[in-house]
Amino acid sequence: MIRGRIRNRVAALIVSLLFARVGAAQQALSQKTTAPPAPKRDLSGLWHYQGNGGSEPIAPDSAIPRMTPWAKAQFDAERPGYGPRRAPGGNDPILHCDPIGFPRIMFLNTPFEFVQAPGRVIQFFEHEHEYRIIWTDGRALPADLDPTWYGYAIGHWEGDDTLVVESAGYNDKTWLGSTGYPHSEDMRITERYRRIDHDTIAYDITVTDPKSYTQPIVGPHRTMKLRPRDGLVEEICVSSEEQSFANRVTEPAVPRPSK
Amino acid sequence: MRSQVRRRRIQSPKFYAALLAAACPLSIQPSALAAPQQASTRSATTPVPKHDLSGIWQVQGDIGAQPIAPDDALVPKMTPWAKARFDAEKPGYGSRGVPGGNDPILQCDPIGFPRIMMMPTPLEFVQAPGRVLQFWEREHEWRPIWTDGRPLPEDPDPTWFGYAVGHWEGDYTLVVESVGFNDKTWLSPTGFPHSEAMRVTERYTRVDHDTISYDLTITDPTAYTKPIVTPHRTLKMKTGVEIPESICVWSEENEFTQRIRNPATPKPAK
Repeated sequence: MIRGRIRNRVAALIVSLLFARVGAAQQALSQKTTAPPAPKRDLSGLWHYQGNGGSEPIAPDSAIPRMTPWAKAQFDAERPGYGPRRAPGGNDPILHCDPIGFPRIMFLNTPFEFVQAPGRVIQFFEHEHEYRIIWTDGRALPADLDPTWYGYAIGHWEGDDTLVVESAGYNDKTWLGSTGYPHSEDMRITERYRRIDHDTIAYDITVTDPKSYTQPIVGPHRTMKLRPRDGLVEEICVSSEEQSFANRVTEPAVPRPSK
Repeated sequence: MRSQVRRRRIQSPKFYAALLAAACPLSIQPSALAAPQQASTRSATTPVPKHDLSGIWQVQGDIGAQPIAPDDALVPKMTPWAKARFDAEKPGYGSRGVPGGNDPILQCDPIGFPRIMMMPTPLEFVQAPGRVLQFWEREHEWRPIWTDGRPLPEDPDPTWFGYAVGHWEGDYTLVVESVGFNDKTWLSPTGFPHSEAMRVTERYTRVDHDTISYDLTITDPTAYTKPIVTPHRTLKMKTGVEIPESICVWSEENEFTQRIRNPATPKPAK
């Protein structure tokens, strides 16, 4: 299991470093296939983001709005392992198994599963064996939330195919993506999961955090594909193993900055 | 809400004692500890739904973490393999409790199954098609109990929470069989090892609307000469609460150990 996990991560790392374009090509191909119509008000199943094969930022740097001075100070202190600012010896919180948090967990090359139960849609993430509950019983977002890593989410259906999810109550300890970018406890997130056919979800995310960004961050349109598979595997970030992985694999793989 | 949590964590010695007992600072929110024996608003005569364990449940009894058996002497004889592991364990509780222990959870390694069932923190059952989902407040963990009739896998990857299948016996008892555990976890806060061959059988019997009677049997011939049959436990339904997010965060856990847990663990008598 652990061996498998490390193998998968090495593979993901290699894929993301060398074949970043292949994912996009596959995505274009798969969109040409025809799928049966979607069931109504039902997202049940295992879904896989059709990204670039590795972890990626919430939005391209060019689409990130101007930061406030508070956020800029946080941003300058970040030392990510990916993207134009990448450097070895980084301080990405996930390096010692701090939770990756929401929404960053959405931009990984690992599947998630929706399970629908009375009054809620449960979203299980293979990464970190995490989950969150999207309450669909009509409750409002609580006014005074304890800040947490995965926030507090409510959802409602728009028509028969779109689950709109509003969330708040995040702590400010996580980055928005692997290339960094901070957020504050004021962050609010709106997501739209639109099942456009049986096998496809069109995903949109907007992050609103006026304490950090002068305008909302609007993520690029993303596509998720249904993956017929039994279930998620148990993948837990174990700090002792993670540290050894970082020393042995992640660190040597990060290119040194050019002088 | 937030300031309440912090005030409680800073000011209440009883809260620290409970935290010590539960051995993870983040795993317990005030909601879970404030009223563990909370009186129910319904009587025990409220009709019990059939084939349904939905709800939030909390073990009754000792508010701290519980050993796998009430007395070490009730644990069956260990094999030499298990005895060697047992002797290397340095738990923070029980007759062998010492400071500076090597309990795997001290560095936020997952507490694993079945030890998570020995904790005083609530769990929740959610029923979905083909599975009963079990969520634990502790570590924000969960497992699916597959109820779609599938057999247990013959060669599962060893994991912290195993692979579980369940079936109903009569209308009120969910019988859960599980395998596929790694051997990195202890059976309880007082230690006791197990091997990857461990097989766990559980019976959740809903004896009335608000009560589950819980039995757990561990069969692990690599480690123990006979099955470990744990004492009957009672789970009571909790209403008006939600399972909060409690994640063991290594950086915070380590700080807690240095500041609270080690000083509070009694030194062995000379």
